[in-house]
Amino acid sequence: MPAPSSSTWDRRSVLRAAAGLAALGPLAACGGDTGREGGGGSGKSLVQYFHAYGEAGTQEAIKRYAKAYDEARVTTQWITGTNFESKLFSALLTDDAPDVFEFHPQLQLIRSGQVAPLDDIIDPVKADFNPADIASHTVDGKVYGVRMIDDPQFFYYRKSLLEKAGLGVPRSLDELAEAAAALTTDKVKGLFIGNSMVSTNHALVWAAGADQLDDRNRIAYHTDDVAAALKVYRRMFTSGHLLLDAPADYWDPSALVQGLTAIQWCGMWAMPVMQKALGDDLGIFPFPPAAPGAKPAVYNGGWSMFVNAKGEDVDLAKDYVKWLWIDQKEYQEDWALGYGFHIPPRTSIAESATELKSGLPAEAVKLFTDYGRFDNISWTQAMITAFEEVVANAVRKGTDPEKALDAADEKVGRELEKLFA
Amino acid sequence: MLGSAGLHFATGVCALLFLVPFYLIVRNALSTDAEITGEDWQWFPADVRWDNLTELFDDTTVPFGRSLWNSAVVGVLHTVGTLLVCSLAGYGLARIPYRHADRIFYAVLVTLMVPAAVTFVPSFVLVSSLGWVSSLQGLVVPGLFSGFTCFLFRQYFLGFPRELEEAARVDGLGYWGAYWRIVVPNSLNFFAAIATITFISGWNAFLWPLVIGQDQEAWTVQVALSSYMTNQTVNFHLIFMATAVSILPLVLVFLFLQRWLVQGVAQTGIKG
Amino acid sequence: MSTTTTRDATRPVPAEAPAAGPRGGVRGSTLSFWLFTGPFLAGLVVFVYVPIGWSAYLSFFEARYTVTPDKFIGFDNYALMLTNGDFTGSLVTFTVFAAIIVPVTWALSLGLALMVHRLRFMKAFFRSVFFLPTACSFVAASLIWKMSIFSGVRFGLMNTVLGWFGVENTAWLADPDPPWYWLVIVTVRLWLQAGFYMILFLAALQNIPPVLYEAAAIDGARPGWQTFRHITLPQLRATSTAVVLLLLVAAYQAFDEFFNLLAKSTWGRPPLVELYYTALGDDQDYGAGSAGAVILTLLICMVTLLQGRFLGFGRGDDSR
Repeated sequence: MPAPSSSTWDRRSVLRAAAGLAALGPLAACGGDTGREGGGGSGKSLVQYFHAYGEAGTQEAIKRYAKAYDEARVTTQWITGTNFESKLFSALLTDDAPDVFEFHPQLQLIRSGQVAPLDDIIDPVKADFNPADIASHTVDGKVYGVRMIDDPQFFYYRKSLLEKAGLGVPRSLDELAEAAAALTTDKVKGLFIGNSMVSTNHALVWAAGADQLDDRNRIAYHTDDVAAALKVYRRMFTSGHLLLDAPADYWDPSALVQGLTAIQWCGMWAMPVMQKALGDDLGIFPFPPAAPGAKPAVYNGGWSMFVNAKGEDVDLAKDYVKWLWIDQKEYQEDWALGYGFHIPPRTSIAESATELKSGLPAEAVKLFTDYGRFDNISWTQAMITAFEEVVANAVRKGTDPEKALDAADEKVGRELEKLFA
Repeated sequence: MLGSAGLHFATGVCALLFLVPFYLIVRNALSTDAEITGEDWQWFPADVRWDNLTELFDDTTVPFGRSLWNSAVVGVLHTVGTLLVCSLAGYGLARIPYRHADRIFYAVLVTLMVPAAVTFVPSFVLVSSLGWVSSLQGLVVPGLFSGFTCFLFRQYFLGFPRELEEAARVDGLGYWGAYWRIVVPNSLNFFAAIATITFISGWNAFLWPLVIGQDQEAWTVQVALSSYMTNQTVNFHLIFMATAVSILPLVLVFLFLQRWLVQGVAQTGIKG
Repeated sequence: MSTTTTRDATRPVPAEAPAAGPRGGVRGSTLSFWLFTGPFLAGLVVFVYVPIGWSAYLSFFEARYTVTPDKFIGFDNYALMLTNGDFTGSLVTFTVFAAIIVPVTWALSLGLALMVHRLRFMKAFFRSVFFLPTACSFVAASLIWKMSIFSGVRFGLMNTVLGWFGVENTAWLADPDPPWYWLVIVTVRLWLQAGFYMILFLAALQNIPPVLYEAAAIDGARPGWQTFRHITLPQLRATSTAVVLLLLVAAYQAFDEFFNLLAKSTWGRPPLVELYYTALGDDQDYGAGSAGAVILTLLICMVTLLQGRFLGFGRGDDSR
């Protein structure tokens, strides 16, 4: 018979140790904090969701604003990661859903009764908002969501590198492709439009003279010019002139700042960091026209606050949104201009923003006003994904654009059917 | 046939390849971003920057110290709980005669095949309706009932020498008594091995802590790490310092417990 | 500390239970059985079976943006998933992935085990080196692979090394043609897993009775390939089978590295990633996602049962 192999371990001491650990379990479990209890003079509490902004100081700022609110203790969930949508959507299903959250205007949230209309808090100041920001949040005459910031997206470029190559600012998509080729050296790539190349999706469609959906919510992106623009993208992708697999994606200024690329698609938020790193060696231009007669395009992204209609205390949540994003102009200004640059949706704040009055920021505001277009509330997340698949297939994988667009038509059609049937 | 020198050389080359990722972690963790992203490859930083370590723990956007502590607590509770629950079940399935034991065992086996991501949404809703989101219970309890660990214990106990237990029974001990007085004390090696494996898998788990750890205060170290990777601003030196710190405890666990681990893996019963 | 005796102790013995324990009859043992297995089984039901059941329920409903749906639609979700090229494509991806990763990991871990087994010096050191990556998480490893080794820019390690030979920077992950992303994904998993399976093989190698080799030498078999082919490999058969099965299960469960390494792609999506995007991604279609999950579960159960029948894996009475 084999001898016990662990005679060195005294049985009783092990059992004692095990019992000790077992006893610790529940204790530690009690000590676990749920993150929602305690604090707050009034005993009421709210939870807000934000995606993780990259600019230094943003998280502290949001928490600072929240702390100043007297009516409830507001807990901030700062959601890092690229899948903010998924996390938000799955959290909304549970009892731990946020009471207020930031997102983009999307119809399915309204149709499913997930977000509450906010007319009563917006109406008094409606005239002070950029009309486009009101329009993009309005369904059947009701306004859902308060815009916090507008984020125009366009191309940044290194002036010195374009000058050295003897190039002007590209005036068409073909010229952009030519510039990318001329600017590529063995250390620097000509152009960076994001690792997955989907960040320009809105602008690409608009610059090709098309739109996501038409006025009657029918597919409008499936045109010959869009297909032709996708072919240019494919040509650029295979040419070796694009920066791909960069460690930080398009939203981060580091590709341009680190000298990995000469031109980069990015948002206005990155402007302070880029200016600090590159000084005067920095210019911007809109997405150039990709079809005869089309206008250049700038995508006005941004973030808005929504109130969870299924939350525990909807009135309190609305009161908080009103307090912070309608009444507290100081915080709104700090939020739009204190970290990255964003355009304040409130006209009164935008007009007094000296940071945006001169130089490159002023040029960006001009692009925003002249060429900027906003989200279409009917173009929902599932449709956004469907068009991202078009780019993945037609540009990176090399499928025929027509086929890729046909596949998207089917998916988008299914969504439209569900929303408008 | 390879000579002894040739064999050692070939093994050495393979070992070097296996160590490359560790080298990169250390190099990047101790460099500045400029050195990492520079035009020319730097094999080692000109100035070793230990400051990166303090910068990591001073950074307020990601509570890294807190996440290390959470991982340690979760790792220990997860290990103790899993060992307790699964070893008992494994023993019961292996040794206690019961009419439906086979069927129950198959029901356990089936769960091995259903991947976590399949049941992940309903699990999340379930745990959330218990109010366990962002809590220690939520992180630990759902993971205790591992079909795989139960399976390993069962296989092990099948091979446990029956004579030992029978001697205990002659002394008048029931299953329960025999288990605690004879079986467990004679299986400590195996328990230590499973404990190590369980701790590692607990420490390295990602998907579940990601969903449950809604609140930063409840983040585990893997969630914190992934947040560095997907954060909008990429700070290489911080990311890799965080990676180094997250791996270090396990490397230590490994080096100290390797003997049990190797023995345990070898005798997990999956040897055939 | 005697490893040999432990190993003896774990040699499988016939497992058919005695008709009744020395103490009392079946009734007493029934109570004990539940005492031992009860807590585990209760947890299993609550945290595994209830969610599975919930999934099955959802799969018959139109469940978008909700997990408490009310619109019953029969088998529509199943029809959608089975006619949906993405889902069936993910099964193809899994097959390709398994066809690469299983034999490669098997061969590498066996190769490492054979090398380490025959080492005379620094055996423990090399064993540790190969085993050490097991301590890393998929998150950490994906991070190193994506940010440092296979980064598409000039300061990625691979591009740096290739650059010395005049090769242009390669976008390892962005460009699916040629499909370099498989190289990235396979090497991550290989690095993380090979050491673990090497340990399994090492243990099995140590268990081969030396007398077999002596007998073979007397019969005139030359050391090297012949001995390996006729002694070592057959003796490792049981371990090899177990390793292959474990690798298959692990490949089927693959999620982390695909999720972390491939963004916004329509390729390289194994079933779990596909389901994640269907149910939890932007579509939030829990009905269709659940239907896919049920289909997968059924497939896997079938394979498991067949496997159990043919190989006897995991069966108490012939676990060898």
